[in-house]
Amino acid sequence: MDEKVPRSNIIETEIPMGTVHPAALEPYRVRLFVEDEIVQEAEITIGVNHRGIERIMEGLPVEKANSLTEKICGICSNSHIYNSCRTAEMGLGIEIPERAVYIRVIMEELERLHSHFLYLAHGCEVLAHETFSMRVFYMREIVMELLAMIGGNRVQYGCSVLGGVRPRCDLDEAKILRLKNDMDTVEQNLSDFVDRFMADSILLSRITGIGVLPQKQAIELAVTGPTLRATGVARDLRTTMFEYDNFDFNVITQPDGDVKSNLVMRALESFESIKIIRQAIANIPDGKVVTRDWEMFDTDIIQSYIEVPRGTLYHSYRLESGRVRHCIIRTPSMANIGAMQYACIGDQITDAQLSIVQCDPCFTCTDRAIEIIRR
Amino acid sequence: MFENTMINPIISVILTVLVCFVISTLLPGIERKYIHARIQQRIGPPVTSPGIMAPLKFIYKKSTEVSSPVPGLYKALPIICFIVVLCILIALTPQAYKIPALASLVAIVGFLKVEEICYVLMGALSKSVMSVNMPFPDVVKGAAHLNATRSFIEDISAKRSLRMITYGSFPLYLALFAPVTAARSIFLQDIVAFQQTHGPFLFTVSGGIAAIVFFIGYMIILNEYPFSIIKAKSDVIEGPYMEYAAKYRAVVVLTRGFFMFVLGAIFSVLFIGVPPTIFSPAILINIIVALIFVFMMGIFSAFTPVFTNRQLLPTILSATLLGILSIVIGLL
Repeated sequence: MDEKVPRSNIIETEIPMGTVHPAALEPYRVRLFVEDEIVQEAEITIGVNHRGIERIMEGLPVEKANSLTEKICGICSNSHIYNSCRTAEMGLGIEIPERAVYIRVIMEELERLHSHFLYLAHGCEVLAHETFSMRVFYMREIVMELLAMIGGNRVQYGCSVLGGVRPRCDLDEAKILRLKNDMDTVEQNLSDFVDRFMADSILLSRITGIGVLPQKQAIELAVTGPTLRATGVARDLRTTMFEYDNFDFNVITQPDGDVKSNLVMRALESFESIKIIRQAIANIPDGKVVTRDWEMFDTDIIQSYIEVPRGTLYHSYRLESGRVRHCIIRTPSMANIGAMQYACIGDQITDAQLSIVQCDPCFTCTDRAIEIIRR
Repeated sequence: MFENTMINPIISVILTVLVCFVISTLLPGIERKYIHARIQQRIGPPVTSPGIMAPLKFIYKKSTEVSSPVPGLYKALPIICFIVVLCILIALTPQAYKIPALASLVAIVGFLKVEEICYVLMGALSKSVMSVNMPFPDVVKGAAHLNATRSFIEDISAKRSLRMITYGSFPLYLALFAPVTAARSIFLQDIVAFQQTHGPFLFTVSGGIAAIVFFIGYMIILNEYPFSIIKAKSDVIEGPYMEYAAKYRAVVVLTRGFFMFVLGAIFSVLFIGVPPTIFSPAILINIIVALIFVFMMGIFSAFTPVFTNRQLLPTILSATLLGILSIVIGLL
């Protein structure tokens, strides 16, 4: 795959879009520098969602800070609280029960499913294929109900706590049976959807070769997660996480780095998530789901990286008198969004938003810095 | 006597237009409720909602001040569009055949062109808050190109509308002229009379091909998916209609439903030989044709993504070639 080079240095027209735009789920600003509807350069600006969560977390008791991290994102809320608890557990040397590990994995994979389904549905919506979009939303609904069954809510589940998972999130026989049945339904529906999607030549003509991010650029721009794997790089942090040691799954890759690869990548990865959930419910050990047998002490800076639906999530903080100090959260969209400036070069304006949302950006997660303009 | 001969046709035209307009307000609802919603396995809106209740609601809303360099003209454009559609319907009624300059294909094509030009003007005159206008500075340091002309997203829409005038609506006009090859006249009266004698043009080889081309043109001129590039949500959002709110939006919605019916009526006249008139039960054919077109359009639009220029050009080119083929066959 060749590097994309703007056709000309003299750009006549700039088309700004946003901050509110129906093709984006969240507010952001994009300035497209175009020549005859072909994007020559793009500039994405975020910052309107900044809430200063890291700053708010500093000084809070670690348990409260953990709960707060869940509010960072409405889609990957579980990933944030999971990684935040994981960070503290690593620092304090807490060994969580095996059953809690399995429940966390189930929650994480369910969240990956609903995130990927949202991505597929949103992708179809940006393509203006409402029928496919609705079909995926119906599939997602099953997963959302499962998350509500375990976590009690459809968005903020509050599943992970220091030392394991909340006792109300424990899985009994009925819940496990429903999980099993619903995974069968989701798998069947997803197979049908993928078959129809891949057989739709009109749709494929809209997404093939669009928004190409070459592998070399993806690595240079530190792209992570499915967006990186869609360029052919088999890198998935789950293969290095101890939580996934007992699970057998494949790292899915796609060769082209375009919108089609990204969509197909996530659809295929959803099958792997279903596989992991099936293994988890089949082998979930008995026992308690949370350990209270730990002590608080001051720690040095603790860092934790996990694989979340959009890529690598980084949490780090230091504990001092049971309170959080020096908190840093880096979400996968931070790098991925930047790369999308590159991906949409050479495409039509109509495809620009599609090229940007192909990385599954989460602007609310990502807004971490603000620039103060003094007049 | 003179008064009777003048008043009766006028009353019949008014009644025909009223009936057609009332029926046309149901068409958007039928498309969304019984086609899109059924295909997408959802309940959908009440059938009266998109075409009647929504415009009624909009009429009583307070309008925002449009962001446009010529707000008066911008606000007048939906009304002009409505009048144009009305004129086309009047031209199709048998009573209008006494005015050959009105009841001819040239007049209908002219009216359709005015409709298309309105889209260009709407796009060019809409300057919404969705693109350039921002309440805070957004030109950051280190931007790639600082001196580029900043353009509103509706400007793209205007350019696309212009392209659609140039070549996008070509298939529709070719299909409109296909019946002329059989009737050897551009006057609607002759085309209808020819079909009443020789049978509908639709059931000839040339007519069958032209009907397909007409349907493609019908979707293009209605800016329906997949041909809705001038109001593609992925970039230009509502395009030319972006700044319309309240009563202006109501006119836009009503015009769309009315236009759907009138295009169906054009097909009935040119391809079946049945003009719309309230005094003939054959008006049912006009209604059925309008419904068939709405159903077909709904099905096609539900299963296709929006076309970009990459897909649009080959599709229009193919439809144009088909249109030329139908005319050539008709001439032979």
